Amino acid sequence: MALVQARGLVRTFGAGRAARRVLDGADLDVERGEIVAVLGRSGTGKSTLLHLLGGLDRPEAGTVQVAGEQVTGASERRLSALRRRHLGFVFQFFHLLPELSGEANVLLAASVRGAHPDAAARGRALVDRLGLRPVAGTLPAQLSGGEQQRFAIARALVNDPAVVLADEPTGNLDAEAGAEVLRLLRGVADEGRALVVVTHDPAATAIADRVLSLVDGRLVADADAEGRLTSHAPEGRLWARDP
Amino acid sequence: MTGLVRAAYAGLRARRGRTALAALGIAAAALVVGTGTTVSYGLATGFERAARQADLPDVIARFDHRSLASVDERVRALPNLAGRSYRREFLGQRLAANGHETDQGAIDILVRGERRGYAIVRGRDLSGADGEVVVERGLADAWDLAPGSLIEFNRGGRLRVVGIAVSPDNVAYPLARAARVYVDVRQIGRGTDWFSRPNVALLWLRDRSRADITLAQARAVSYGLEDLRLLTRTGIQVLLGQAAGIVLALLSAFSLVALLGAGTMLAAGAQADVQRRLPALGVQRALGFTPGRIAALQATEAALVAVPAAAIGLAAGALAVAGPAADLLAALNEQPPGGALVLPLAGCLAGVVAVVCAAATWPAWRAARRPPAEILRGGDVAPARFGGGGRGGLVALGARFALARRGRWAASVATVAACAGIVLLMLGLASLLERLRDDPGTVGKRYQLTARLDPSLVPAVERIPGVDAATPRYAVDASDAFRLGEPLRLVAYPGDHTAFEAPPLAAGRRVRGPGEAEVGLGLADALGLRPGSTMAAQLPSGGELRFKVVGVVRALEREGRLAWVRPDRLLADDPGLTPSLAIRLRPGADRARVDAALSALGAPPQAVGGATTSNAAFLGVLAAVLRGVGLAVGLVCLYALVQALAVTTRERRGAVALLRACGADSASVARLLAGAALAVALPAAVLAVVLERVAFAPLVASLAAGYAELPLGAAPGQVLLVVAGLGVLAALATALVARRAGREPIIAGLREE
Repeated sequence: MALVQARGLVRTFGAGRAARRVLDGADLDVERGEIVAVLGRSGTGKSTLLHLLGGLDRPEAGTVQVAGEQVTGASERRLSALRRRHLGFVFQFFHLLPELSGEANVLLAASVRGAHPDAAARGRALVDRLGLRPVAGTLPAQLSGGEQQRFAIARALVNDPAVVLADEPTGNLDAEAGAEVLRLLRGVADEGRALVVVTHDPAATAIADRVLSLVDGRLVADADAEGRLTSHAPEGRLWARDP
Repeated sequence: MTGLVRAAYAGLRARRGRTALAALGIAAAALVVGTGTTVSYGLATGFERAARQADLPDVIARFDHRSLASVDERVRALPNLAGRSYRREFLGQRLAANGHETDQGAIDILVRGERRGYAIVRGRDLSGADGEVVVERGLADAWDLAPGSLIEFNRGGRLRVVGIAVSPDNVAYPLARAARVYVDVRQIGRGTDWFSRPNVALLWLRDRSRADITLAQARAVSYGLEDLRLLTRTGIQVLLGQAAGIVLALLSAFSLVALLGAGTMLAAGAQADVQRRLPALGVQRALGFTPGRIAALQATEAALVAVPAAAIGLAAGALAVAGPAADLLAALNEQPPGGALVLPLAGCLAGVVAVVCAAATWPAWRAARRPPAEILRGGDVAPARFGGGGRGGLVALGARFALARRGRWAASVATVAACAGIVLLMLGLASLLERLRDDPGTVGKRYQLTARLDPSLVPAVERIPGVDAATPRYAVDASDAFRLGEPLRLVAYPGDHTAFEAPPLAAGRRVRGPGEAEVGLGLADALGLRPGSTMAAQLPSGGELRFKVVGVVRALEREGRLAWVRPDRLLADDPGLTPSLAIRLRPGADRARVDAALSALGAPPQAVGGATTSNAAFLGVLAAVLRGVGLAVGLVCLYALVQALAVTTRERRGAVALLRACGADSASVARLLAGAALAVALPAAVLAVVLERVAFAPLVASLAAGYAELPLGAAPGQVLLVVAGLGVLAALATALVARRAGREPIIAGLREE
């Protein structure tokens, strides 16, 4: 069974004449070890999809399951537990607390009630593994964008989630730092996690197993039936990843 | 203008939760201001109001009774005189009604004069018909008398009450010892002129500011009038105002603290709000809005919230203390302000709204005056200057959030500490008042029982289990031999009296020998005594004894008109003088057993009360007012904590949202906020105790130092209570704010971060 399963998601913003349906029956399945990149123009509902998958927002219709647990309709307490146990978030603007060092930001996720007992140790290990030890005690304001995002990724992985949701993870980075972050995310998926990456960055699609686009509120494959490139694709690349 | 109001209204509607919180805070502060204003205004103006209503004379002259013609001849010659009335006053009369009785009745016979010097508040005035009496309101309330009731006096005549009167020339019965009634000379003095010989003259002056000239002339023509005592309307006001002054000073102080505290918190809230809305302000400025327009919008929003919230708070505060304040004024024979209170409350409303508007507008005005580009850049929260370690978990992180804004944190701590310090002071004062009422130890008495037993039984009494010591105590009512009108009480112990009675020494030293005396402050003031002076006491036997004053003590009992001496000279003058035994008990003594043993020896003991046992009801009312006010100030504490937490949460909503995205549940968010609450409440608790000990209590004690040495200071139990109360308030504030934070959409917070 897919780690992430969404069916018929509907989400509308505004009311009356100003109402805008950004998701209109979107379906999605993401398997263990798979990275799904979601492309789309601004305002097409990419981030909204991520919020619904992560239980940060509630759909008007449709269902979401993560790691076999129902997200839609769950209580706030249940959603908190679900996010703690199964979900990790990576954001475009990192969202590191400015008064905490990089490592303390990572360990923040380990300090919430109900966090895994080994979370703190795992957090410290992640800091080492991601090559962040030399700057572990540095405040975010003194870190580069790439370093900040690596700390954010470490924070997302502290509770060993099955699913990582990344919202424009390279959107605020230069090409070099973006590539490093994408390499890391690929590694995260290769450890058996499911990743959904929402992005504008064509380079991000390079690490994806599948690329989907949001068109009229629905997710559609960006490759044709034979796996050939569509007009969205960068030259000479096949979206479907080699087995 | 209409557009501004409409825009402000729309802004408030869009932020309903924050608007409601701000309104709650304004209402809480206004509640305290309302209670303070109601009590303060009532006390500050009560005398003048009652005096005007009662047509209180400008001068009350008391003297030994003389023929009306003789007195009137002298009075008529006084300059500046507008009116005069005469009374014959009989003190120490027996009055009884409705199962109550007293031997301290004061019967005022209205001898001549249309002007009464009292106001009828129920029923009607005396008509001159037989069998009518007007009673003072304090007596009517204490004995449940109403027009139509019957009152018996001197075991003989019965009079029908036709009216209830108030005269602010003294405090009300039972606060005053004498229970006053008024009768007309036409019904009581027929066939004799004995009752027509006045001993009180009430004088009304044309120009009150020139009373000194009239008084000087009155003294000049008083030859032949014995024991002349003149009391002016201003003198009465000062006397009554002394006690109320402490309460007034306290109420004004904490009203101000509450208002400033609320203003500070609101300013902090507005500052955070402006910080959050900086990008919007920047856009507005870029679109051509002037700083004045932006500030005006903020001021209009603040006014729209402040006017109804402050009105509700002020009204609630005024209503909450209206009853106790009226009781307090009634005890002082004064009138509640009624409709006259509307004007000061309206002034308070204007003041509260002005403070709120200024506090809310200033940050917006300051921000809007910066260049638009700078405003647009400045929306982020600046990082705090702390080490980056994350030790201590969420509680420590919450504390760091609170401490990140040093100025606001200091303001919050100061506000909560001032409020908690005032609550401590109120509790301490209330307890002191009750101790004054119930505990003889408060006024320096170290014995708990007296018994009419022969001094030879002292060893037998001391053998009773639970009795620590016993000694003969002599008490003689005398008067000053130089000025016979000045009463005083001589209290004598065979040895060191401080083992049984030790009022605090204000000057000089304790008595060491038979010819020495310690005098109370009241007596020293009345007779101009100081260490080294000679006090001459005229005894009931007619003898005169002289003592050298060696010390002045602060004694509350009998207005301090006491002197402590050795009994040798008293016994030499009257060998038959019988003492009572003063009995000091051991801590935890079985009172019932001691009572039974003393009764078996021949005399049931009497418990010794505080200095003001007869004023118990008054002190009880005052203590209730103080506790009520303490509760209102406690609400301000809660508001300050909620506001501090809400502002921190609002400012750090991105961090809260991030935590929630990481899986933090409501309990984890509450831990974070508890840290922020503790960062304010803990130092505030310490500061509150220090403030109460170092500033508030000494200040209030010094205000009262003229009358007595008040052992003021919150007890350890009260300190614990207030600290625990702060903890509970912090928990309550945390729960309230965490509940709100938990309802906020996570993505909204993340967008802001």
